[in-house]
Amino acid sequence: MIRAFSPFLALRYLITRRINILGVLGVAFAVWAMLVVDGVFTGFVRDIRSNVESSAPPLLLTDLPHDSSFTVFHDALFDDPDVVALAPRLRQHAMLQPIRQDQRTRAKRGSNQLDFDHTKNGFAMLIGIDPLLETKVVSMSAWLRRGSNEIARYGRDESPSKVFDEPDEERLAEMLLPDRVEWDMRRRAGMPHDPDINNHRSSLPGMLMGWRRVFNLPHIQDGDPFEVVCASFPGGDGENGALSMRTTQKPFASAGWFGSGNRMFDAVTALVPIEPLRTMLGHDIDDLTSIPLVTDVAIRPRDGITGNELIALQRRLEKKAQAKLPEGSKPCSVLTWQEQNSVYLKAVEQEHAMMTIVLMIVMLVSAFVIYATLHMMVVQKIKDIGIISAVGGSPRGIGSVFLINGTVVGVLGSLLGVAAGVMSAIWINPINDWLYANYRIELFPRETFDLQGIPCHLEPSWVIAVAIGAIVLSIIVAFIPARKAARMNPVTALAFE
Amino acid sequence: MSTILRATGITKNYAIGKQQIPVLRGVDLSIKAGEKVALLGTSGAGKSTLLHLLGLLDAPTSGTIEYDGREVQSLPVGERARLRHQQVGFVFQFYHLIPELTALQNVLLARMMDTSVLQYWGKRKQAKASAVEMLQHVGLGERLHHRPTELSGGERQRVAIARALIAEPKIVLADEPTGNLDSATAKEVVDLMFTIQQERQLAFLLVTHDEGLATRCDRIIRMKDGYVVDQDLTSDEQAR
Repeated sequence: MIRAFSPFLALRYLITRRINILGVLGVAFAVWAMLVVDGVFTGFVRDIRSNVESSAPPLLLTDLPHDSSFTVFHDALFDDPDVVALAPRLRQHAMLQPIRQDQRTRAKRGSNQLDFDHTKNGFAMLIGIDPLLETKVVSMSAWLRRGSNEIARYGRDESPSKVFDEPDEERLAEMLLPDRVEWDMRRRAGMPHDPDINNHRSSLPGMLMGWRRVFNLPHIQDGDPFEVVCASFPGGDGENGALSMRTTQKPFASAGWFGSGNRMFDAVTALVPIEPLRTMLGHDIDDLTSIPLVTDVAIRPRDGITGNELIALQRRLEKKAQAKLPEGSKPCSVLTWQEQNSVYLKAVEQEHAMMTIVLMIVMLVSAFVIYATLHMMVVQKIKDIGIISAVGGSPRGIGSVFLINGTVVGVLGSLLGVAAGVMSAIWINPINDWLYANYRIELFPRETFDLQGIPCHLEPSWVIAVAIGAIVLSIIVAFIPARKAARMNPVTALAFE
Repeated sequence: MSTILRATGITKNYAIGKQQIPVLRGVDLSIKAGEKVALLGTSGAGKSTLLHLLGLLDAPTSGTIEYDGREVQSLPVGERARLRHQQVGFVFQFYHLIPELTALQNVLLARMMDTSVLQYWGKRKQAKASAVEMLQHVGLGERLHHRPTELSGGERQRVAIARALIAEPKIVLADEPTGNLDSATAKEVVDLMFTIQQERQLAFLLVTHDEGLATRCDRIIRMKDGYVVDQDLTSDEQAR
């Protein structure tokens, strides 16, 4: 039973002793920090995961030998009832160099691929795709839309590339630009072209670049030609036992840009049609000895597949693919989109976990503030404790005075912190915009992670857990000085000066 | 009149390091209902210690304390607190009011000691009315909402008297209640205490150095070095 004097005195002390404000503000700050920082990190992790998911195929068969043929795997994998689409991919490092002849971008004597961009080099990870099949596995239209939106943020009002809208499948397979666009480009670049536009048929395969490669190069336009240089090791030793290396180069035409949402991917990747790339690597389609070369196979499982079914499918596909590889081959892997980006995702999760630990420490510090303020109050109120004892206050009732005080501090701090936290979460982007506009201060490096705004996601369960946690912690730390007060000898307390 | 408080063979030692310092060395006394008793003695005689033991603020090293014939010295602290609230009113030399509370709240506080929040809420108006009446009775009807720092010494002691009486105790233990007041104010306070004592037939145990004040009491007990050296025994005690 709580004696009437306990809450009465507790509230009087709370109102009249300003040090309690420190306790309330300490709890409020800790709750606010936990909600806002965790909210931002939760939103950040969600957005990053969403971006990474959209940048990767649902499943990817990888770790294949260098001379793997798509045909071999296609039949084996497509057989599986849980697989609805497959697309070949061919990864290859390359160098890019624009070949426009105007003054701004003309290659200078002695220059190298670094001239392509002053901030990023001209190396690229080429991914050869079959546009017809790739669009069945990955939402290419979403990539093109996002690329256009991202570029628009830098003041370039350009509509998404229409390279995948080509109705002619043969032209689509080469990602060819419309004849007029390529003719215009050839004329501008001083490349060979028929004087009559009506006689011109596009021939340069298209190339889609990640928007991060081109966002600050306003002179790059649709159809601009690029020289792509690949190096490969066709096999066999050269002179003195050294590996023989073959370099090939081929012009491609810029067909626009994409945005997958994965910063690194959008900075280094260029998508090209797979057949021209195979040709560059010595597997010309017209060569009867060549194979439809792949380094990876993108796989779309059926919709609605459960987590366990997906794992089973991975193992099944790995087994089927392995069976098609020559004996003694290294094991191949079928990776989910998370596994394809596991290092990045783990780093983000780890950062989130570390931040949560830091926030817990902030909460403990605020609990210590409550303890310190209550302890100080008990010391300052020793004589009061004696007085209350003298007029009949029980030790439990005296302890309750300080326990109630700490609890009310915790409750008020929690409520204040929750209100401030929720408001901050709602207004974080306008606040950030205002800070940036007036003081050039950014609360969160959103552009580092290609996020449109500061992501903030508050889980109601987390808000409740933090609020209750803060109150419980306040009660626990208030218990220690409360017990000290309850155990105080009344005579000693009355004599205290 | 019946004996409401009896102490027999009370000793109290305080430990200083490993050494036991005796402060009370076997004190016997009894107080009857409605009796005014003065406790006289030099500093260090053990008067205040005895008062604290009789008021159940502390437990004796040995001996017994009886309230209405019931031994109470070894009751649990919570039970002793309840009994203290019901039986005893304290008045201290330095008033011992809670500075955050107004005069009215200081008095009301004493009404809240053994009631739960809900019980008190049900009779809060009645409690407030009786506290106001008590303060008016001690002449502070106009000073209800003043804090101790806004009151004079005499007024503070009147608040302390009102607080001691609000729970209707059977005995008031006053530890040099006029020791911090000028003589005129001291006389006013003593007159007030004795008037109320007469009205309510309270027992009063008054610790004082003031022989003049002591002579206004029914009985005087003198202490020295932890012993009672002289006391006017009541007829019962003389008979025993």
